Amino acid sequence: MIASFRAETLKARKRWANWLLFGILLMTLLLFGYVLSYVIFKNPPRNFQSPVPASVLIRRDFPENLLPTVLSSMSTIGAAIMIILGSLSTASEYGWLTVQTILIQKPGRVAVLVGKLLNLGLITLITSVVALGLAALTSYLLVSIDGSSSAWPSVTELLKGFGALWLQLAVWTAFGMFLGIAFRSTAAAIGGGLTYLFVGEALIAGLLRDTPGVKEILKFLPGVNGEAVNASFRLSFRNPNAATQLVDANRGSITLVIYLALFTILALLIFRRRDVTGG
Amino acid sequence: MAQALAVETHGLTKRYSTGVLAVDDLDLRVRTGEVYGFLGPNGAGKTTTLRLLSGLIHPTSGSAIVAGAVPGSPASLARLGAMVETPAFYPYLSGRDNLRVVARYAGVPKSRIEPVLKLVDLTDRAKHKFKTYSTGMKQRLGVAAALLKGPDLLILDEPTSGLDPQGTIEMRALIKELKQGGRTVLLSSHLLNEVELTCDRVGVIAKGKLVAEGTVDELRARSGGRTLRIHAAPLEQAQRLLESLLNPDQVRVLDGSLVLNVDPAQAASINRRLVADGVDVSELRVDEQSLENVFLELTEAPSQPTAASGGGDRSAEVEGNT
Repeated sequence: MIASFRAETLKARKRWANWLLFGILLMTLLLFGYVLSYVIFKNPPRNFQSPVPASVLIRRDFPENLLPTVLSSMSTIGAAIMIILGSLSTASEYGWLTVQTILIQKPGRVAVLVGKLLNLGLITLITSVVALGLAALTSYLLVSIDGSSSAWPSVTELLKGFGALWLQLAVWTAFGMFLGIAFRSTAAAIGGGLTYLFVGEALIAGLLRDTPGVKEILKFLPGVNGEAVNASFRLSFRNPNAATQLVDANRGSITLVIYLALFTILALLIFRRRDVTGG
Repeated sequence: MAQALAVETHGLTKRYSTGVLAVDDLDLRVRTGEVYGFLGPNGAGKTTTLRLLSGLIHPTSGSAIVAGAVPGSPASLARLGAMVETPAFYPYLSGRDNLRVVARYAGVPKSRIEPVLKLVDLTDRAKHKFKTYSTGMKQRLGVAAALLKGPDLLILDEPTSGLDPQGTIEMRALIKELKQGGRTVLLSSHLLNEVELTCDRVGVIAKGKLVAEGTVDELRARSGGRTLRIHAAPLEQAQRLLESLLNPDQVRVLDGSLVLNVDPAQAASINRRLVADGVDVSELRVDEQSLENVFLELTEAPSQPTAASGGGDRSAEVEGNT
């Protein structure tokens, strides 16, 4: 297991695509989550309409709102990037047939996949730390530029926020990893994962949120549950446009943990049993 | 005394979910320390067998012991080095980094990497990315990866596939070298002369079943071994005389010559009788039965045109991967 983990870290570190994904994620977070919104709220266009004035909305970019801003920014782009990362980590092994090179070495199949899981867990951990760290630095810079004052969240809140971020990134990574093993094709895994995220979660859950019957089903989706967890980290001002959550944060957290376990177990079951044939 | 076995299968069977029966009740025995050649026509189940032995696929029924343990178990894999079908590596990593990855999976110290790179003559290109490698270099990296563990048993699937003549010669020399020190090598090949040159014993598989097994000479003998070819005139008179002297089944006409399935030591006496009967003998020679002919007979493949009437081009390609 440790041997497999060490091999996985070497592969992940040397893979250019991983660094590209990491860069896109951080750039998107900083650019769209902070810099652009600061510029817009600082100099709102004449036709700017919002129940909350721009002078208040700008405070979402300040340290007091670090957690809700990072979590909401990462909920979609972070999920998409992590689905791609998870899919690449497994589906590529089938595409290149390296899965057979790995399985002919000493570790058993379970050890190989657990090594992969540990490595992906490490990557999501590092991503969460770096994302929060860079967001904190950016919010500090913005509040300093603005000449305003803002309080940091408590350590307890920071730890809870970090845990929520890590859990959500881990769930989507496990989802991508599972799809990669199930489909054995990078294109199918990424295509299927992103279609689910943007059509199944974002579109349907957004449009049919209040439809009776559908609403009950939506309560079981990982994205909807993640959103509920994120909503528990409140902004420092009241936003009347904020959507009402279908489940509470506790149920959301538990559901996400169940999804993480489910994707992992399904991936293990398929990987352990299925024949590895040629391309 | 019975020799220890590096590979032993009992009734090994693989039927894919598509219904294709790729390996059918296969009983294979590879002795420790030998180079065993695995031959079979396209679709015979050869690569499927190697996948079963490497633990990449699960048998439908039957059992196997590979390097002393169940295929695919850590105990078996610890003593097994294998390259099945194509050498598969990470295209974005260099040859050396690919071996580092393999070494980490195998729990082998990285000090093993340079010696195996040197053994396969890849040291100079080890820093370049795998995706830039030629087919021959990829094959050699595959062999290097298989050797990293210092395995007791080496399984090589088509190790000279895609290699140029020089590369083929070097690979054969390497395989012979690998045999030193008691290592067992199980290789499949689409080149019959390669099997003749490198293997101690050969197994021929057709339609998923082992149809013959033995040394190259044993297989030749099984299919008639050496024959006597006589160019004589008049041909009909010579044929009648020889059929009266020998069993008629031992005499046949091929390409205007008589081919006799007899002990070549009888050549002189047969010549004397023909001449005494007024037959002109212009040529009398001993023909070796080629491994290709043996192979085609055993696998019931249609005859291929051959370069020489008495045998054929022994390097003719007769199979592919299954």
